[in-house]
Amino acid sequence: MKADRPKHIGARVQRFEDTRLLSGSARYIDDIRLPDMLHLSFVRADTAHANIVEIDTSALADLEYATWVFTGKDTAGLSMKAHQDYPEMQYSEQPLLAEGKVRFVGEPVAVVLAEDAYRAEDAAELVFVDYETLPVIGTMAQARDSSLPSLFDGWASNVIVQRQMKGGDLEAAKAAAAHVIKRTYSTQRQAGVPMECRGVVASYDHADRVLTVWSSTQMPHLVRTYISEELDLPESRIRVVAPDVGGGFGVKGQVFGDEVLVAWLAMKTGRPVKWIEDRREHLIASIHARDHQHTLEAYVSADGRLLGLKADITVDNGAYSTFPFTSAGEPGMVGKVLPGPYDFQAYEATFRAVATNKCAIGTYRGVARPSAVFSQERLMDDIAKELGMDPFDFRLKNIIRQFPYKNVLGFSYDEGSYAQSLEQMQALLAEDVTEAAASRSSSTKRVGVGIACFIEQTAHGTPDFTRRRVPIETGYIAARVEMSPDGEVTIDLGLQNHGQGLETTMAQVAADALGVNPENVYVRHGDTLTTPYSVGTWGSRGGALGGGAVHLASLKLAAKLKTIAAHLLQAKPDEIELANGNAYVRDAVQRFIPIRKLARAALRNVDQLPEGMQPGLEAEQRQDGPKDGTYSNAVHAAVVEIDIPTGKMKLRRFVVVEDCGTILNPLVVDGQVRGGVVQGIGSAMFEHFIYDAECQPLTTSFADYLMPLAPEIPNIEVHHIETPTPLTPLGAKGLGEGGAIGPAAAIANAVANALDVGVSCTPLNTNAIWKLSQHLRGAA
Amino acid sequence: MRPASFEYHRATSLEHALELLGEFGENGRPIAGGQSLVPMMNFRLARPGHLVDINRLPLDAIEIAGPVLRIGALTRHIAYFDNPWIARHFPAFLDAVHYIGHPTIRRNGSIGGSISHADPTAELPAISVLYDADIVARSVTGERRIKAQEFFLSAYVTALEPGEMVVAVEFPIPPAASTGSFIELGERSGDFATASIGISLEHGGGKIVRAAMVCCGADLFPMRAPEVEDFLVGKPLVNPSGAEAGCIFAASIDPVDDHIASADYRRGLIAELTHRAIEAACTRALDKS
Repeated sequence: MKADRPKHIGARVQRFEDTRLLSGSARYIDDIRLPDMLHLSFVRADTAHANIVEIDTSALADLEYATWVFTGKDTAGLSMKAHQDYPEMQYSEQPLLAEGKVRFVGEPVAVVLAEDAYRAEDAAELVFVDYETLPVIGTMAQARDSSLPSLFDGWASNVIVQRQMKGGDLEAAKAAAAHVIKRTYSTQRQAGVPMECRGVVASYDHADRVLTVWSSTQMPHLVRTYISEELDLPESRIRVVAPDVGGGFGVKGQVFGDEVLVAWLAMKTGRPVKWIEDRREHLIASIHARDHQHTLEAYVSADGRLLGLKADITVDNGAYSTFPFTSAGEPGMVGKVLPGPYDFQAYEATFRAVATNKCAIGTYRGVARPSAVFSQERLMDDIAKELGMDPFDFRLKNIIRQFPYKNVLGFSYDEGSYAQSLEQMQALLAEDVTEAAASRSSSTKRVGVGIACFIEQTAHGTPDFTRRRVPIETGYIAARVEMSPDGEVTIDLGLQNHGQGLETTMAQVAADALGVNPENVYVRHGDTLTTPYSVGTWGSRGGALGGGAVHLASLKLAAKLKTIAAHLLQAKPDEIELANGNAYVRDAVQRFIPIRKLARAALRNVDQLPEGMQPGLEAEQRQDGPKDGTYSNAVHAAVVEIDIPTGKMKLRRFVVVEDCGTILNPLVVDGQVRGGVVQGIGSAMFEHFIYDAECQPLTTSFADYLMPLAPEIPNIEVHHIETPTPLTPLGAKGLGEGGAIGPAAAIANAVANALDVGVSCTPLNTNAIWKLSQHLRGAA
Repeated sequence: MRPASFEYHRATSLEHALELLGEFGENGRPIAGGQSLVPMMNFRLARPGHLVDINRLPLDAIEIAGPVLRIGALTRHIAYFDNPWIARHFPAFLDAVHYIGHPTIRRNGSIGGSISHADPTAELPAISVLYDADIVARSVTGERRIKAQEFFLSAYVTALEPGEMVVAVEFPIPPAASTGSFIELGERSGDFATASIGISLEHGGGKIVRAAMVCCGADLFPMRAPEVEDFLVGKPLVNPSGAEAGCIFAASIDPVDDHIASADYRRGLIAELTHRAIEAACTRALDKS
């Protein structure tokens, strides 16, 4: 007889954390209320580039309530330093509060503290800042014009960093090409918009000399490290807590100057200090994303083989470099990932970040890849069109089919389902393709089908960060698994859960290894006091690396449980199986002992332990990423319907075929994919952060910054292929970002298909579609 | 994004509300659903020192009063969807309310609030202009009726005087042989309109006898289109030359240019929506007759 052994990994387990999150009982940063707390309001630059002549705070003295005010003079020397050790990169810092100069609208210039948040905001209005305005650097072209002044003293130009990556013989590829196709593509500047804005609370305990910082962050340990280094405090006396975080999407995956500043203010004033970011602050001054322009030149043989690719990439970085991914991160990522899922061996990319008087670019779901894939996949369609080939056929002709594949830059791709996912998508879209072709005869209503085929390097590990010389430095995720005397399990996880379902999926992983139910596993996270040092949740690594760490730590614990069980059941450890809360002797299930009795033996009735065994039931594991990461792949498809006279576009269908290796929980994967796709639809059609010529932001509220809304989103169909990777313990690849990477490309390709035009930029809003369809109205 | 300091007063009767508003003058604002005023206050674009809460006043009746349909200022947008008089007499009105915001806005927002806020692309101001409604305003010194066309002066600017409050909007009931339509296009459902067109027609003998048209997006307030109204008179319900009407109107306007839509696009869109609204109204007229 064999024990019935439920497998929790892969099961459709409803998310445990949803009970808390959906019933309104979650605790977010704004729910942190401490006695004697002061509230902070920022005075922010209202001009994009200026010398600060004077900051006059004298009006605050007339208020009938107490206020505290601080400027850059008080915080002089404290700054955000985010540099990558490339000789080509120009160094800059962002002071916590502007010192002498402001470089974008929204830059913190002063702070006012008061005993309630309303009064702090009232008082902040009374701070008068006299500026001497300077000409702005507002566009990529201005930033590359070396005759214009630089944003920082000592800089040679406003090109922050320019580098190159290459592989193979590009000249030979060009010489052999029958077709040379050159195109320029660009993606618009966006804000990253979690439902909950950011916020920081800090409190300093003078007795124990312990600083506690609550922050709505994805990376509490890195916040701790940065504060420690900047404020010169021992890390052992800093506790950083990320409470429930209402969405992060990478926006909260950087350390911000305000986190250091609020901590400093709590120490300085001796009172707890709270800052809750409002939506306007979030939109203008947290981070921006996606502002890219790529010029690509493809060399293609007469029979439709991609021979080589040349790329020139510019990212409008804004004024400052963000920690820890820096302004070199975004362009570098494009250079690295542009070869994509296609088989060619000649490549050269020149990529640069330029400085402008705008909010800094930071990481936002997909990080450079939505822009890279937009260009890559628009190019594939443009080439196919030039060659008179079907977009599927052209891709299938060039897709990588042999694994592991060493790409033109030397990166090794583990096995994926590139061709299979394309073929599956082709079958799913057959009817839409026919309908789209039939709509060509109409000058009023057109249907278009577009696809985006891409891979995503996920689960980056330490080797990848070392290679990139990025100050994140390390990539491992740690997990500590502990069983208490009653047999209940606690996981202290180095990840922070802000929507990923980690409290459920990590419990599923541990449950399988330990033979308990996921309901008996409590996942703790987001608090540096309880969780082992890790770099946080970002970069599509939670499932792959966090899951791996939990799995291996749980196996260590399981081994000890089996040894104890074997001792008590008079069997051999390798005969023991753990399932359903019991330890069984394999093939003799009547011989069993409840796991909780083993736990009790390990921790309380220790006289029952085998001779020489140490009491205790805990295990820890750090899981780093593989050298080149592990590559997820997906094909996205959009079917659009366009009303030619008005330019109104309806997204009729959005289909995803994705492969993230082993699926830990299909509900969670579907949710991650769908959420990402919605954000990708935002990139494709709606979201655009706009500055005018003076770098004044025009889209500073949700009235002007348009997020995708539910009525505009079709049912998103998700199909899975599972190709487990040998590179992570569970075979899982990363999937958190993929959903956001494909939609802009797929929708743009659908528009190009519907209107029979080239599409070179996003957002494809109604006005843009109307302009792109001009030629069809002319004919009507 | 926190409002500046203000004092809150709950009005216990209309007289009480008017007294308070009279006392506060420009420094006082009535508040009903707060769907426009509260965001403006949070951005500190509006800084009333006193808010007079009128939510408990009995001002939410929709009633036939002789030749007009009188809609109390506190009527919430949700009330129009199943109102038989709106459906029977004001088809463009019923079309328009489907474009108003989202469920929360529809449940809380009031006609008095929407009219007084005077967003240049809001539906109810446009509908009141289309149907030649009277805005009934009252203050401690008495009541006056302001023609909708004279009420909306510019974006967020109305003919209301300090201390005055909208208490009702009166829509003249059109003759039996009439119909209408309203079409709007925004970037997303529930958004501020990029442009909208409302049409109201009287018809007889298969022809248009009288026409009214309103447009949002062409100017800073909902504007009538007299040249189209004249053009349409005498046109057959079957093929009423809507496209031509659209071109005539588009040539006469200088639309708003912003980051959502260029002036060129708005002009093209307004021409097309004019065409469609006329076609839709005429189709309804034919269906009815």
